[in-house]
Amino acid sequence: MIKRRRAPATHAARTAALFLGALTAAALLASVLMPDAAATLDLSYRRAAPSLSHWFGTDELGRDVFVRVLNGARVSLAIGLLSALLSAALGTAIGVTAGYARRWIDDVLMRFTDAMLSVPRLPLLMIAAAILQPGVPLLVLMVGAVGWMETARVVRAEVQSIATRDFVTAARGIGASPARVVWRHVLPGVVPTVSVATTLAVGRGILLESALSFFGVGVQPPTASWGNMLYQAQTTMMTEPWLALFPGAFIFLTVLACNSVSARRDAGPRPVLAHTGRRTQLERITPLS
Amino acid sequence: MSSRSRSLMTRALALACVVACASDRRPAPPSNDLLIVGYDREPDNLNRYATHILEDIESCVVEGLVTNDERMQLVPLLATEIPTLENGGVKLRPDGGMDVTWKLRPGVKWHDGVPHTSADVKFTADAILKGDWKPESVDGFDRISSVETPDSLTAVVHYKEIYAPYALQFVRGTLPKHVLEGRDIDRANDYNRSPLGTGPYRVAEWKTGEHILLERVPGYWRDTSEPHIRRILFRFIANTTTRINQLKTGEVHVVAMVPWDKVRELRAVPGLRLNQVLGNGYEHVTLNQKRFPPFADVRVRQALAHAIDRDLIARTILDSLVQVVNGPVQPLSWAYEPNVRAYEFAPEKSRALLAQAGWIPGPGGVRTKNGRPLSFTLITQAGFAIRENVAQALQRQLRDVGVDMQVRLIDGTSISSVWFAGDFDAMLHWWQSGADPEITLFFAKDRTPPAGRNINYFADDALTALLYASDRTVDQATRAGLLREAQRRVAELEPEIPLYNTTKIDAVPATLRGFKGNPTNAGPFWNIQEWEIVK
Amino acid sequence: MGDREVAVSALRFIARRVVQSVPLLFVISLLVFALIHAAPGGPLALYLDNPNVRPEDIARLRHAMGLDRSLPEQYLAWLAAFVRGDWGYSYADGRPVLSRIIERIPATLELVGTSTLVALAVSLATGIAASVHRGVDRAATLATIAGISLPVFWFGLMLQIVFANTLGWFPSSGRASFGATGFADRVAHLILPAAVLASVHAAAWSRYLRTAMGEALRRAYVRAARARGLRESSVILGHALPNALAPFITVVLLDASIMVSGAVVTESVFAWPGVGSLFTESLAKRDYTVLMALLLCGSAAVIVLNLVADLVVRAIDPRVRESS
Repeated sequence: MIKRRRAPATHAARTAALFLGALTAAALLASVLMPDAAATLDLSYRRAAPSLSHWFGTDELGRDVFVRVLNGARVSLAIGLLSALLSAALGTAIGVTAGYARRWIDDVLMRFTDAMLSVPRLPLLMIAAAILQPGVPLLVLMVGAVGWMETARVVRAEVQSIATRDFVTAARGIGASPARVVWRHVLPGVVPTVSVATTLAVGRGILLESALSFFGVGVQPPTASWGNMLYQAQTTMMTEPWLALFPGAFIFLTVLACNSVSARRDAGPRPVLAHTGRRTQLERITPLS
Repeated sequence: MSSRSRSLMTRALALACVVACASDRRPAPPSNDLLIVGYDREPDNLNRYATHILEDIESCVVEGLVTNDERMQLVPLLATEIPTLENGGVKLRPDGGMDVTWKLRPGVKWHDGVPHTSADVKFTADAILKGDWKPESVDGFDRISSVETPDSLTAVVHYKEIYAPYALQFVRGTLPKHVLEGRDIDRANDYNRSPLGTGPYRVAEWKTGEHILLERVPGYWRDTSEPHIRRILFRFIANTTTRINQLKTGEVHVVAMVPWDKVRELRAVPGLRLNQVLGNGYEHVTLNQKRFPPFADVRVRQALAHAIDRDLIARTILDSLVQVVNGPVQPLSWAYEPNVRAYEFAPEKSRALLAQAGWIPGPGGVRTKNGRPLSFTLITQAGFAIRENVAQALQRQLRDVGVDMQVRLIDGTSISSVWFAGDFDAMLHWWQSGADPEITLFFAKDRTPPAGRNINYFADDALTALLYASDRTVDQATRAGLLREAQRRVAELEPEIPLYNTTKIDAVPATLRGFKGNPTNAGPFWNIQEWEIVK
Repeated sequence: MGDREVAVSALRFIARRVVQSVPLLFVISLLVFALIHAAPGGPLALYLDNPNVRPEDIARLRHAMGLDRSLPEQYLAWLAAFVRGDWGYSYADGRPVLSRIIERIPATLELVGTSTLVALAVSLATGIAASVHRGVDRAATLATIAGISLPVFWFGLMLQIVFANTLGWFPSSGRASFGATGFADRVAHLILPAAVLASVHAAAWSRYLRTAMGEALRRAYVRAARARGLRESSVILGHALPNALAPFITVVLLDASIMVSGAVVTESVFAWPGVGSLFTESLAKRDYTVLMALLLCGSAAVIVLNLVADLVVRAIDPRVRESS
């Protein structure tokens, strides 16, 4: 197994982790205290600027934007986290299978991975979302289903290199079943790689959701998500900027926090296993431009 | 390397400043040389019969025999008068059919110099009847048995049966026989992308994805009002925010049909005038009785109507831009009946009606009857901010009387097939009608999809009889009487909940004279030859 | 290996990859076709909203468009025509699909080309500077993490508000003012969208290059070069950079290929008349034929540039050639 020295958490990474924790707690708390955003709807108190009674102001329907941002956090975080976990699971499963199994299985899986990597991700998701008109659970599946390919490739490379190590060949030699070898000896080795990929994927999932909502095919109101709050705020950006400012800032800060945490996890010297720089593959982030 | 990149960046910044300053980013104001229109979509084609978007651009090029003015009055254009029973233009035949005689304006020429004649009228009807291409609709044309042309300026249209909206038959103009005869019109892209017309403008350029440029045609037949503006540019800007931004920066001068939630922002922009006319459509809540049977009880429908504070919604979400209405025929129509039953905001009445109908408060404040909750889903179009907001306000107001309504948004293209299949409980939407007040399509009991648009699945024999009688009446006064009675009956039975009229607001330069707007789908460009920029 | 052998091996490599990509494209086309036709609505939905269009009209149009045939039939007909180069006609405006796509390509190339070059320059500079200087590294890390965390449409709208609406320096959107033929006008229109595209990609790429450089700098031969007392600049530029360059170029080419198939978000925000806007317009109109062709072209672009990237890497880095 690879021994890693844990890099000391930087100040920024600690702040980021703290921010994510606080946000998650607040979002969960809000869903208990204020399960229904419509409850604050008040047509006689619309478009109020931020004040002490409404920290983030009120929207077109007189709803409290702070409450909506927290409700939106629930949806955005859920999509980001769950889709990232799904991607991690899919990517690890496919990567381990491809790296450890026979040649032809490897070939088939990698060709499939290539096919998925060749289709432009955002357009594909836009078509799928336009057609399926997904709710939050389906959206998690969709975002997760287009995000596993990089992980699969990296995990495969790592598994292939681990599989030739002495302790793995030794385990095989004494007759351990393939499943046991993978579970006991191979999987622990890919955990660091996968966890980095997963924290990055959380941010990407949040951005994907907001981009889909920007085109009106993401999470649909009345359910609040940061993406659809921004989408709706476009209309009033010049007159009530706070409606756009807060959800936008929260997307930015949350993705920033995810990426900062992953930067910490990835810090420190590591052995380089493949000539193309296996580790650098993880740093490849395709912006949704 | 890093210092080199720094100097590179400095240079790039410097270039940006030079470009920004040198090109003087204040765009040219509107002038009689060039008027720029920010248009929300690129047309599919410019053939008025084949396009399925609004005919704004076409109406500058191809003229109808008649058109609608800003008060929705029918005015003759290429015809010298509107045929009626009184002036002898319409004759009822003993066999139940009718003959309509169109007299064409003499001296009108197509842009290529060929005279516009009754042969073009006949060719148009024949081509659409032949059906070997894709006209958007053949409505009315399929009731024509033949067209006769006794002379070059007279076309007699023989109908197999009485067709009340006959006067609008050629509102989309005529097809030029000498260009299109014997051709596959679907593939006649020379015509479909640059139609030959008789109007004040012709298509000078269509740059796909960017714009269509129209230029003035010399020697326009209406010599009294030669067009003042030389060129009109339609720029395609699909994103509403972008379109409005360009209006504010002066990159475009005119935006037709400004979304209501953008009006507030434009009020403060100097040099702009917001022109407002009543629309010929109405926003309403369709109640699908087939899918959600409790709507079949008139007391439930009336209770829902009383639970909704339409004035509050119009005053707040719609910024008082729209007028609350009580029925499907709009105030501009000659058949409009103002004295119908109106359902004021009265939650108490609403609760009483629901209780009468057997719906009693149940768990969670939702009323139930025989263990079934009064709970349904309202669908409406996604990406339409005002509808999303109105839907949520309705949800809140209905909850106050114990009705549970969920909101589901569906995108603009899918929603059509959803309602066509009747797969919804309730829907928030509008109908934009033509200038003719026919509402048979929406309320006759046998006109449920696919035979029509009665998606309330509402069936009332008396109303159905009234509507069909009005369709078979050519005399306008008699027909208006029948339609007025129909409107009173609709309001009494409240098969759907009308909310407000779809006001049309166009943003134009304050210096533009002659702009009047238009309530119908003909669009605000119908009188473009009168437009003029005055300094 | 001799030159001839290298060429032969490169050709065999290309041939194998081309052969592999055919079933890939076939699978993609099948997936996309199935997905698109699962859609409710379809191109005829546009007609339903018009009260004057009657059911008979719909049935007539459905038949005229061939939409009344079974799905496998429709797919085979489409595939047969597509392979022959007949991409069909757009449901939306009746013109050939191929010409609709081709006319959008120059605008996209202009935008993507400019922003790729800018992003390349910026990321090279910051990537290298960051691997040299610790202070620069901290700042660059912060900036690049911020850059990749920005929601692009939001960033674009913000730039419009500041630079077009408030300051009035640049036009808010579009590719050119009407009637203006000058170079300055084109550049002024290009700056904001290119800035958006360039900044998000520069952030991603410089972060990538920084990591690759960091790895290269830890290698034995770099340490050896340092031990030999070489100047730091020649260690960086002469030894570390060439090694970091191969994976970097791969990534740049792949991202560029995805952008070519449509910088969907940026083009939409800035009303840029390129391939990306064509995609969003066609999606809104359910223009099946155009959507299919666009997604396939996009996938093909990715496959081709993937191949180019691999060839470039083979040329730069001999170890790859030997191992494959």
